[in-house]
Amino acid sequence: MKVSITFDRLRWEEKALSEAAEAAGVEATLVDSKGLIFEVPKKHPDLGDVVLQRCISHYRSSILTLMLEGAGLKVINSHDVAETCSNKLATTIALANAKVPTPRTFLALTSEAVEEAADRLGYPFVLKPFTGSWGRMVTVVRDRSTLQSLIEYKEELANPQEQHMYYLQEFVRRPPRDIRAIVAGDSIIACVHRIAPPGEWRTNVARGAVSKAFKPDAELKEIILKAAEAVGGGILGVDAMEPESGYLVHEVNNTVEFKGAQSAVDTDIPAQLIKYVSQVARR
Amino acid sequence: MNTSCTECGATLAVPNDAIVGELVSCKDCSQEYEVAEISNGSVLLKPAEQVGEDWGE
Repeated sequence: MKVSITFDRLRWEEKALSEAAEAAGVEATLVDSKGLIFEVPKKHPDLGDVVLQRCISHYRSSILTLMLEGAGLKVINSHDVAETCSNKLATTIALANAKVPTPRTFLALTSEAVEEAADRLGYPFVLKPFTGSWGRMVTVVRDRSTLQSLIEYKEELANPQEQHMYYLQEFVRRPPRDIRAIVAGDSIIACVHRIAPPGEWRTNVARGAVSKAFKPDAELKEIILKAAEAVGGGILGVDAMEPESGYLVHEVNNTVEFKGAQSAVDTDIPAQLIKYVSQVARR
Repeated sequence: MNTSCTECGATLAVPNDAIVGELVSCKDCSQEYEVAEISNGSVLLKPAEQVGEDWGE
């Protein structure tokens, strides 16, 4: 079995996965996707039979996975899973349809409709881009005048998806932390709290949040695994919140970063992920 | 392995165990580079890609 780990930005995670594969005796090669050329729909001679997709650019990752699956390769995660996770609306639909508790969410398709959507959802709410990560452009909207200003800013964006369409989500009152679970198949590899830094409400590690290990209870475990299954399964980062009313899953990440979680847990995360990749490869 | 920052001219030290694709930053001006090639103990760098709107997890 030959595994390729495709990347476009070689981070700590990709190097750790490569080292874990070597330690486990799995033949794995780091492949810079930026230099790949395909004759469609043929297999690329430098790639093996199984690909662990780790590109940081969503669109590059999506196109490459489409090509690889088209050439008959097994990709972790699949194109379907990647598309569901990379679009917050698709994720919310998948979670809600699978009865996974998730924050109340509204969609508005024009700048005119968003004010009524906001009135129906109620202030404050969180305005999120459909695609994006690390908490970028995620904004708490506390009143109508702030929304009106944001509409003007959004209309100046070049991306048509973000320019005129709006994903609005209830502002969940929670402790200044959220939950990040790293899932591989039907196993929770690691679970941490991500604690927001002072002066920041967002809990992304990229924004300075600190990870702290904790043991999920039975209810949370079930919700995490159900959320992973709802988007199609694979290697995923499930993000949840813990308001008084009960757990809510707000996001599932397709190319999960785990440097922060690894700093907080004893489990060897890359080793466990490579173990899962080997299992998938043998199927 | 030493080379120079094309932005500010400072000496850029690339670890000997660096691999192709790895990122290095100039300590003086923070310009980020990607290791493009390593051969016979010398290293070739290219400017790293800038953060894109679609980057993330």
